[in-house]
Amino acid sequence: MTSRTFAAWVVRRLAVAAAVVAGVAVVTFVLIHLAPGDPIYLLAGDGGSPAYYADMRARYGLDRPLPAQLATYLAAVLTLDFGYSFVHQAPVSRVLLAHAPASLLLGGAALALATAAGLFAGVLPALTRSLAVDRVVRWGASITYASPVFWTGQIFVYVFAVRLGILPAAGITTARETLTGLAAGGDVLRHLLLPALTLSLPFAAIIARVVRAALVEIAREPFVLATSARGFSRARVLLGHAVPNVLPPVVTLVGLHAAQLAAGAALIEALFGWPGVGHLVLQASLHRDYPLVVGAFIGISASVVFFNAAADAVCAWLDPRVRQT
Amino acid sequence: MRRLLVSACLLASASAAACSSASNAGQSRPVTLVVALASDPGALNPAVTTSGNTHPVTDQLFNGLVGLDEAFNPVPELAERWSIEDDGRTYRFFLRPGVRWHDGTPFTSADVRFTFEAALLRYHSRTRAALEGVIEAIETPDDLTVIFRLTRPYSPLLQRLDVVEASIIPRHQYDGHDLLTGEPTRRPIGTGPFRIVSHTPSDRIVLERNTQYFRPGLPRVDRVVFRILPNAAAAVAALEAGEVDYVSGVPGPAIPRLRASPAVTVVPGTAGPGGALCQDVLIPNLARRPFNDPRVRRAFAHAIDRAFIHERVYYGLGRVATGPISHLMTWAYTADVPQYRHDPAEANRLLDAAGHPRGRDGVRMRLTFTHAATHQRLGQALREGLKLAGIDLALETRDFNAAVEQVFVKKAFDLGVASYCNGVDPDIGVRRAYVSSNIGPYPFSNGAGYRNPRIDALFEEASRQQDRARRRDLYVEIQRILAADVPYFWLVDTEALRAHRSTFTGFRPWTGAFLETVAAVAAETP
Repeated sequence: MTSRTFAAWVVRRLAVAAAVVAGVAVVTFVLIHLAPGDPIYLLAGDGGSPAYYADMRARYGLDRPLPAQLATYLAAVLTLDFGYSFVHQAPVSRVLLAHAPASLLLGGAALALATAAGLFAGVLPALTRSLAVDRVVRWGASITYASPVFWTGQIFVYVFAVRLGILPAAGITTARETLTGLAAGGDVLRHLLLPALTLSLPFAAIIARVVRAALVEIAREPFVLATSARGFSRARVLLGHAVPNVLPPVVTLVGLHAAQLAAGAALIEALFGWPGVGHLVLQASLHRDYPLVVGAFIGISASVVFFNAAADAVCAWLDPRVRQT
Repeated sequence: MRRLLVSACLLASASAAACSSASNAGQSRPVTLVVALASDPGALNPAVTTSGNTHPVTDQLFNGLVGLDEAFNPVPELAERWSIEDDGRTYRFFLRPGVRWHDGTPFTSADVRFTFEAALLRYHSRTRAALEGVIEAIETPDDLTVIFRLTRPYSPLLQRLDVVEASIIPRHQYDGHDLLTGEPTRRPIGTGPFRIVSHTPSDRIVLERNTQYFRPGLPRVDRVVFRILPNAAAAVAALEAGEVDYVSGVPGPAIPRLRASPAVTVVPGTAGPGGALCQDVLIPNLARRPFNDPRVRRAFAHAIDRAFIHERVYYGLGRVATGPISHLMTWAYTADVPQYRHDPAEANRLLDAAGHPRGRDGVRMRLTFTHAATHQRLGQALREGLKLAGIDLALETRDFNAAVEQVFVKKAFDLGVASYCNGVDPDIGVRRAYVSSNIGPYPFSNGAGYRNPRIDALFEEASRQQDRARRRDLYVEIQRILAADVPYFWLVDTEALRAHRSTFTGFRPWTGAFLETVAAVAAETP
């Protein structure tokens, strides 16, 4: 790829990304405003008079027609002003940025766990050439993928936190004391383990199945036969030659799921009281915090676009054939 | 990929690293109480909202002019005494001397006047609705005296001045700021037993003991941490694991397990920052057929199996309701009103007589029950029970906010459901559901659309009457008329269980300031 064609590729990707994000902003804005339920009652409370609620609606600009509200909002977004959260009484961008690190940590950890576990489980049948191991991996992956994370998470909490008492049930750090330095880092990692494990399981299952299936295909390729014929060990053939050829689809999968894991782990974050973006969006939707919901969706769609582009770039780096197209 | 592997390695060592950090027990440490909170309240100004997320936190930071005892009688708080003059048209409050805000500024009568004029009478939905036509003027002849001049006698005034309904905020912090969005809402300064240390959104709010608190010896814990745990089952798990010390609103399925655990104490809660003496009530739309006919409403009342619903849907918590006032409002409540026992045969007879015969399919009428997802079990129980009377109930489940809008604002429903909290006086929480001047369109108003001039007049007279015995007579008459008219179907006087670690004691479940007297019974929780 020449530098000119690369530049054209980048411009095209950016234009598509901007269109996607703008579309998401408009659709989310309209949908959340059309959803039944009035944020004023949650904000201001119950038992008020009609005049009071009318005053409050005017204060928050909710008395204007929807197209006018949308136009004002989009004009503000162009200047990177994503509005003011009703509930948090702070700029949406500040609220989102405050929640992003926790989500990135959880998503990153889950992604790392899922990739490692998925690759390991996917390679295992080819490495052992055992039908029993193959069955265990296939069935195990199917069951793990089919188990709702919300349920798995509760089981983990009950076993590891309530019954065994070896891991914390909720939160990102212990509430009872204030730790600093290494102890604080260790505390965060200890709190991270259960939610990251829970979140990683279905994704690990997909990776395992993709890797296993790809290795079955690759085992029939002439270059695998050739390396075996040269007398290399099975492990070397597999890990040195076959597995690198399975990585591109895995990277694409990781790219597709990265944004979802980083931003959309709402159920897991709510279950574990993890102070991330997913938890925030869930609460914001329940409270009809319109600016926060729309701002969060813009952020999430932007990160989906970004991670997809990143996955494409990594694939191109891993596979020379992709680079030439 | 390399970075991912490093992360995975870090994770694998996480457990070991943290185990060493948690091993400094045994030393004398400050007592910390951890309270589970379902949702981050965001802004922390209690004088502009009635939100059940805000008040559990702010009611520990602020005070009212008066407090409430266990029977909801007013007791001194920021006001050390008061006098009622001019036949109930003037209330004179003598403020407690020496009270300081958390930043050291003296608390004075100017703060009280500012709070009412700039915040409560403008933005606190319940206090504004109730008092804006009642309070004529607020005078502050000196720093320690506040005089409320009323347009007419209003007997429940004192009950409306506690920390839940009328938290007093500092004038010196808010004057010149926007009370809804200004910076002070993030850094509240109160006079209460605790002061704020930090607020980490969606994670925790940390309070510490106010060492200058005007009640000597209180509070008894050093730190309170409100931990945001949106999932009730997860909050219970954290309680069982010893990470959380107090959970309000224990989900039904967890009750037997918690009751069996010696490490946890389960206490009934009927009041507090989220509302007092609540009743779950079915709301018929009286503006539509068939509920515009009182004969149908009486038949319907006979068709509902309240005892079954109480046992199976409410897990036996609380008590089957007998009428519009909770049995816990002892001075005003009477059980001596028309009752509607569960009797499907009687319901069928009354519906036949009211001109609603069964069709070929055995169904007399098809109705829709609009409810929040939290009432799904109630919907299923009702649907099955009402079949015996030939009523086909379709279930329309929405999220809470949407269900409230459908019933109270749009009024597009046949049958709805709401938790009407009586409050600490019938004038606060009962009146709003029955007087014709309060027929919406806004939440928790007179949702049924009931109109009865006699009821309007009786509620008005009861609010003016100073003598409690006379007030009781008026409320008894109100209960009898309403029970005969059945404008609502009163299901259960509800009770939300709260649970706390047995290593703490002294929770006060009837007031917003529920943590003021909490103390550790052991050196520290595990």
